[in-house]
Amino acid sequence: MKQAKAHLHGNGDLQQTLVVVFLRGGADGLALMPAVGDDDYHRARPLTTVGQAEAIRLDDRFALSTAMAALEPAVKEGALSAVHCVGSDDTTRSHFEAQDLMEHGGHTGGGWLGRFLRFREQATGGALAAVALGQAVPESLRGAPAATAMQSLDDFSFSGGDAFVKSLEQLYSGETGVYGARARDTFDALGRIRNLHANDYSPAHGAEYGGGRFGRELRLAAQLIKARVGVEAVTVDLGGWDTHLSQAPLIGPLLRRLANGLAAFRRDLGAAMRRTTVVVMSEFGRRVSENSALGTDHGRGGAMFVLGGDGAEGRVIADWPGLKRDALVGPGDLPVTTDYRDVLIPLLRRHAPSADMARVFPGHEPKPLGQAVEAA
Amino acid sequence: MLGTAGCDAPQKALWPVTGLPGEAKPPFTPPGGGSIDLATHALNRLTFGPRPGQHERVLRLAKREEEAVAKFIDAQLAPEKINDDRAEFRVRRFETLALAPIGEFYEFQPGLLREELTRATLARAVYSERQFQEVMVRFWSDHFNIDLSKGDCKWLKPADDRDVIRPHALGRFPELLAASAKSQAMLTYLDGRVNRVRRPGDKPNENYARELLELHTLGVHGGYTQRDVMEIARCLSGWRIGRGLFKVGKVQFEPGLHDAGAKTVLGEAIPARKGMAGRDDFDDVLRIVAGHPSTARHLATKLCQRFIADEPPAAAIDTVAGVFAKTNGDIRQTLRALFFTDEFRVARGTKFKQPLHFIASALRATGAESDVGRPMVNYLVRMGHMPFEYPAPDGYPTRAEPWMSTLLWRWNFAAKLGQGRIDGTRVQADRLARRAGGMAKLAAHLLGRRPSDDELAAAKASGDALGLMLASPSFQWS
Repeated sequence: MKQAKAHLHGNGDLQQTLVVVFLRGGADGLALMPAVGDDDYHRARPLTTVGQAEAIRLDDRFALSTAMAALEPAVKEGALSAVHCVGSDDTTRSHFEAQDLMEHGGHTGGGWLGRFLRFREQATGGALAAVALGQAVPESLRGAPAATAMQSLDDFSFSGGDAFVKSLEQLYSGETGVYGARARDTFDALGRIRNLHANDYSPAHGAEYGGGRFGRELRLAAQLIKARVGVEAVTVDLGGWDTHLSQAPLIGPLLRRLANGLAAFRRDLGAAMRRTTVVVMSEFGRRVSENSALGTDHGRGGAMFVLGGDGAEGRVIADWPGLKRDALVGPGDLPVTTDYRDVLIPLLRRHAPSADMARVFPGHEPKPLGQAVEAA
Repeated sequence: MLGTAGCDAPQKALWPVTGLPGEAKPPFTPPGGGSIDLATHALNRLTFGPRPGQHERVLRLAKREEEAVAKFIDAQLAPEKINDDRAEFRVRRFETLALAPIGEFYEFQPGLLREELTRATLARAVYSERQFQEVMVRFWSDHFNIDLSKGDCKWLKPADDRDVIRPHALGRFPELLAASAKSQAMLTYLDGRVNRVRRPGDKPNENYARELLELHTLGVHGGYTQRDVMEIARCLSGWRIGRGLFKVGKVQFEPGLHDAGAKTVLGEAIPARKGMAGRDDFDDVLRIVAGHPSTARHLATKLCQRFIADEPPAAAIDTVAGVFAKTNGDIRQTLRALFFTDEFRVARGTKFKQPLHFIASALRATGAESDVGRPMVNYLVRMGHMPFEYPAPDGYPTRAEPWMSTLLWRWNFAAKLGQGRIDGTRVQADRLARRAGGMAKLAAHLLGRRPSDDELAAAKASGDALGLMLASPSFQWS
């Protein structure tokens, strides 16, 4: 009973967490998820091509590049889903416009994650329901019922001392009903936060995040999730994907950082990964052919990854048009054949089955994802 | 660019008015009753909370408490007669608020516009003498909610706040509604500007028409049909926001985009109108919906919910709706009637403060000197109450429950404020306690009544009486 109640109020042990990794700058879908089984891929990308032999195969057509080898166990265990030719209906190919559109979840105000948390059920979450790792709360969390931008655990500290908390507890002990229940949830969260500060954190199962900012932030995310302070959504950014110039030397380290971070996070969480879903997305993909500066320009369809989550099964979702010129759109871009919102909707449903998706994504007509696989 | 350094000089020049930071402030007498008295009640509901000595000043307005409170209410209902230079001086540093014409807003970074509008909102909530005007500006900002993050609203909302909401907040509802209907920000937020009918059979955009009926006027059970929504959308087709030189942001009627046929709205016939005459549909529609009996009830219910209780008593709604209808939506007279109902008098301490109200009331109660900078804004984000960021057209809820999960940040804020550890904000806790006449009196000032034995014991044991009282269960309610 206590657990069920706590869960309703957002601070419980049954908490599920959605981690949204946004690759800022327009990440190249053909680098994230090269179509090594498609001959045209090798023709279009002579410089950055990934050889068939060394790649980590996802299926007959798609693979992860060797730079993402850290995710091989997740692929083998069926914990990673990958989506290609995914994106929004933005055609401006402007970072700013496309990021806003994607983070708002359509031509509307507020962020999709913010609206999800605000409207998903009658009860709202706890004070720490949403954590934005970084300096500011991203557009996707606009309108959230609670959102905390956080760069380190210090941003999460409680400033009252023991005597203060004890006195406060005495005052609230007389409160009954919803107010009393919320107060008790809050003292519970407060206790967990104070434990967090009291104990040094060492990642479990030998997980190694490395020293970069992305790794540090994922480590913090894992720490918060495991401490069960009521975090339901975490946003993390990884920038640097705007590879107009000499893509090959730039993108390898980025792919490595992404894969190493996610792999460490998965290893660290262990069994808690069952109630955690990580989704990786970017505002758009990039042009199929390389430009004269050995880079790629802004395109349309890109890739998304989904890692973990209860009942998740690794699968490849791609309504793949091929890379022949007449299959491409605009100046030679992969089309968007899967709407990114149709990837998010089942994930959100898993976290809140009764959430009204028409409020989360106003104006969007959802399409089931499975169709795309059959069509491919 | 936003740094406060450049503002030091004018601040110094104003010291004769605001008082030097170190200057001694006079002692004051907090409320002494065992429960919340009428003066505190009026201060709780008509303002963002009493400042040190304000309770005593209200009582001094007349010999009897009732008369004094009536005088206070009437004074707050006439903000134009209240000098507010000191608050306006604080707001003047937010230069983007003064831009004109509307095209100028487009020359600024949206982040700066958002920051200045938010900080000005907080500054006025804390420092304006026209407190009730500010309370009503918040009410109407939610009633006519516009989310800054939708499209061009980030450039257009500052003008809506200044030119639509503020001038009409205590004016007449039909005029407020008409101003909102033609506001660039509202035309953008609810898609009115893309409501076009080029040829017969074109489907108009119904977004604004629906929210106009459901949220702004009749209410969802107000007795309209889907047909009324469609007919109103036809009537309001053809209004758009100009582009290009000298026209940027100008709201224009274009006959070529208007449905010129005859319509019927809520049973009233609107004749076919050709050419520029089509713009008269707008006035007809707004007259019909503003004067509808359901609108009086809907507005009365929302006002009673805001100012009396989450579940407002039917008798009060009847009274308020009656005055709203009789005065054709005179907002002052409607609210005056509300504040003199028996239901208002007895509903003390029954409204849970929204986060902005909580923050402002704490800053007011402590006599804090605050630049309402980023740390304050961050608390609003953490508590999910950034003004102009509610992600749906119905505005922030005034009911208690959705806000109860914000306790953690309220306690954190209270503890930090009590310790004087919020950057850009100064509180002199010891001096405040001395001015009030000791810890028990300080608690009475913060709670609006004598503290209970438990409260006093907890305050003593906590090591931070001021922070603890601000974090206490009672301070969350008004």
